[in-house]
Amino acid sequence: MNLESKLRKLVKIENVTFELKDNIVFINGTVKDYNEWIEIGLNIGSLKEVEGVVNNVIWNKNQNSLDKKRNDQRLKIYNSQKNKNAGNYDIIIIGAGVIGCFIARELSKYRNSILVLEKGSDVCLGASRANNGMIHPGISPSFDTLKRKLNIRGNTLYDKICSELDVPFKRVGSLILITSKTFEKYKKKMPGFLYRFVLKKIIPILAKRKGRKNGVKDIEIIKGDKIFELEPWATKEALLALYIPSTGILDPYELTIALSENALENGVNIQLKTEVVGFNKEREKITGVVTSKGTFNCKLVINAAGVFSDEIADLAGSKEFTIHPRKGVEILFNKNVKPGVNHCTAELIIPTPKTSKGGGVNPAIHGNIIWGPTAIEIPSKTDKTVTREEINLMLERYSSVLNKDFPKEKMIRYFAGVRAPTFTEDFIIRPAKWVENLIHVAGIQSPGLASAPAIAEYVLELVQNKGFCKLKNSNFKSKRKGIPTVADMNLDELQKRIEENSSWGNIICTCEMISEAEIVEAINRGAQSIDAIKRRTRAGMGSCQLSYCRLKIANILSRELKIPLNQIIKESSDSTLYDGIVRGEKL
Amino acid sequence: MKDVVVIGGGPSGVACALTLYEKDFDVGIIEINEELGGLLDQCIHDGFGTKLFNEGLSGPEFVSRFIEKLEKSTVEIMLNSFVKSVNVSGSVKEIICITPNGVKKVKTKSIVYAIGCRERNEYEIFIGGSRPSGVLTAGAVQRLVNLYGILPGKNVIIVGGGDVGMIVARHLFFEGVDNILMVYPEEFFTGLPRNVQQCVLDFDIKYQPQTIVKNVIGNKRIEAVELVKVDKFWNPINGTEKVVKCDSLILSVGLIPYSDKLEEIGAEIDDCTNGPVVNEYYETTVKGIFSIGNLIQIFDYVDDAVETAFIAANGVEHYLKNKTHKKDDFIKLKLGENVNCLTPQRINKITDEISVFFRPGLTCKTPKISLVNKEGKVLKEFSKPFVRPSTLENLKIPLELIINEEEVSLNVRAKEK
Repeated sequence: MNLESKLRKLVKIENVTFELKDNIVFINGTVKDYNEWIEIGLNIGSLKEVEGVVNNVIWNKNQNSLDKKRNDQRLKIYNSQKNKNAGNYDIIIIGAGVIGCFIARELSKYRNSILVLEKGSDVCLGASRANNGMIHPGISPSFDTLKRKLNIRGNTLYDKICSELDVPFKRVGSLILITSKTFEKYKKKMPGFLYRFVLKKIIPILAKRKGRKNGVKDIEIIKGDKIFELEPWATKEALLALYIPSTGILDPYELTIALSENALENGVNIQLKTEVVGFNKEREKITGVVTSKGTFNCKLVINAAGVFSDEIADLAGSKEFTIHPRKGVEILFNKNVKPGVNHCTAELIIPTPKTSKGGGVNPAIHGNIIWGPTAIEIPSKTDKTVTREEINLMLERYSSVLNKDFPKEKMIRYFAGVRAPTFTEDFIIRPAKWVENLIHVAGIQSPGLASAPAIAEYVLELVQNKGFCKLKNSNFKSKRKGIPTVADMNLDELQKRIEENSSWGNIICTCEMISEAEIVEAINRGAQSIDAIKRRTRAGMGSCQLSYCRLKIANILSRELKIPLNQIIKESSDSTLYDGIVRGEKL
Repeated sequence: MKDVVVIGGGPSGVACALTLYEKDFDVGIIEINEELGGLLDQCIHDGFGTKLFNEGLSGPEFVSRFIEKLEKSTVEIMLNSFVKSVNVSGSVKEIICITPNGVKKVKTKSIVYAIGCRERNEYEIFIGGSRPSGVLTAGAVQRLVNLYGILPGKNVIIVGGGDVGMIVARHLFFEGVDNILMVYPEEFFTGLPRNVQQCVLDFDIKYQPQTIVKNVIGNKRIEAVELVKVDKFWNPINGTEKVVKCDSLILSVGLIPYSDKLEEIGAEIDDCTNGPVVNEYYETTVKGIFSIGNLIQIFDYVDDAVETAFIAANGVEHYLKNKTHKKDDFIKLKLGENVNCLTPQRINKITDEISVFFRPGLTCKTPKISLVNKEGKVLKEFSKPFVRPSTLENLKIPLELIINEEEVSLNVRAKEK
């Protein structure tokens, strides 16, 4: 059966039609709600030959007017900026998340001029900062996916990358628990003895075999007390566990910031607060990227815009996929939970959910414990809200992985990020179908972070196929140094530093023991807000969550940047901490 | 080697250091900030010292009564010093400080921790929604306004009906913020009646009891909050949600003792007070390590916090003069009915009278307060005109009353009808 007839069979909802062009499926019409919108997209995306689903179906009456408003805003900026030359580059990367920064650094090994455009006020403001920092081993993705291939390769590259970039990284290993819930769905469908046999004998072997086939080398099946020796917090319900030593952890923003700093040092230009609003083109070729800060002319464009990558593709004239945002909520626990969690711990659930299933319980690289993320389909790409109900649900749900005594009251923060999956649920990394000099790097969802170094290599190959990055940059510096931290120094080293500069001896964040010198260094490296400093130094990441040190940090920012205290911002412009009113002035 | 080092230069810390100096010990005091005074630096309202000095002073006035004497004394004052770690090996303790002048090691025979508490934040009360700027804690706002002359905003919602919330509300009103709304989950304000009158009612500040913040709205700066009514058990009542615009959300939702540092050196922590387990001299479960003020439990009056400093100074003297007691020979003071937390948790039978601070678990007039032994026998009854959870109560218990007991519990019961 050809694709066309498969689709005809599948698309049976009234008011929905489809078109097929170069293996991309466009769906149009109306459905009654968002769930239906998701479902029809996923159903079509699951067909093997489909290379992308553009879901133009309307589920919400206001959608058209919202889209129009946004497009009008963009068009207005486009018209005012399309003729203003802001610079000329060989390659422009759109998006400074972990993927954009990884690609930038990889390409900077060659002699080409490179620009990264980012609409946010810092690098790493999207999904890259709000994930659990897990470097997956590659056991979960299906065998024929690009995800699987790049995950396996990406995982192996992390030791080298992190040592070059001075980013803390640890292979803690993961434990996938087999519990009474693992196969619950089938419990009533088969005789008890058979159920138990399948659960205890067949499932572990199949899971191990799947991992092996995927390319994960060491997988061990662990039984009984050994599970609790490895992981004292594991639920007592655990019957067996798969132990995979290659799983790693790191802080995703530390990595992204390190990549951006190293790329900058190797000649890459990064423009923050610069929003792409359109493209100048000659026939099917992009000649310039039009932004809120003028037009940057270029020869090749890489679309690494995360949740916005479908809109960028659309603006460029090659919309081949629609992003359906998927929120993940995470909970962070205090470092003083003793003992800590040793491994990335999760429950095996069969059958594996088709979309990302969400994370388990992980150790974080600086000693906290992190639960999540969850996986919730949401209509908005920017909705990072966390509700009270979500927190309560999580505290309940994740308890099934852990022992009941886990001190939940030691939670110190919750937050959410939005993943950028497409309806084919695999990475889309390829030259655009209908624009000559555009490469899509889209649909980067879990295990995107684990795959990132391999994605960068893969994109390099595509870029070279387009005739770029042929000559090595002999001046490439692979090493970058992080900001030294008082918390990691021995006393002699600290004494020496204080003798050189007394601000190493002025502790600002008492929870994490962060000195004034570290904060000043972060500002010197480009941090301009409280949150940017937090990501670079960890100041404010402890149990008080800035309630003690916010004002102290704001004072340092004010002094260093020479701006009044009442204009210091949390993250982006318009996020002033104190609303800018000085006592005595008229309200 | 010092006889004693006090860590923390807030009101309890300076009072303790001065008292120990007056007892002729070699004393040091360590403070992380550039001056002594702690939280009282920013408390420019009056009402401090009514118990201790019989007059109403401002925060800086109150604490300077100790600081001025301390500065004239031979007590070594170590400012800008952060305590990185403390090594306890038997009777000698070594404190490692990070200071702008270098790493400093201080050896001492005993330590008094007076490092106070921190403010609870938005995550600890499960506020949902987005995480924009403009969400601050009350203490930080007080500091911002009083020390830097900057207001948090002009359209302010304050969460919490306790004293700090009310005082901040009045203060913002004085400084020109007209639009203030206070919300709290309880049926009535939980702070002192005098503050309800003098801070809220006198200035017609708006308030909404039995209400919590469900969600914060706004992506960059806070734009509004979604309020919801709650029932007696603080559970949100569906359908009562209401969005109220604001440009700042100020949290005054309780304080948490900074007990992590004590936990690190092996002191036992009490789940109810969140502070260390202490005896009647406020000695922790680590010998020679004492702990006072808001670190052991949250006090309503600075005068009471300072009382713990005086008692601990006697304890340090007792310890330094080698009048040892058996650490494991103690009477356990337990929470009985309707008592949320208390100190001291154990009594080593070293003082003739024990000062017990406790937080009642119910609101009622003329309750029956009783001390009961393990067998259920009432040892003594006490009377108070009125108790409620937001008011910390004090009792003096004669040692002879309980000296032969293994454990006694403190109970608060409503008056029988």
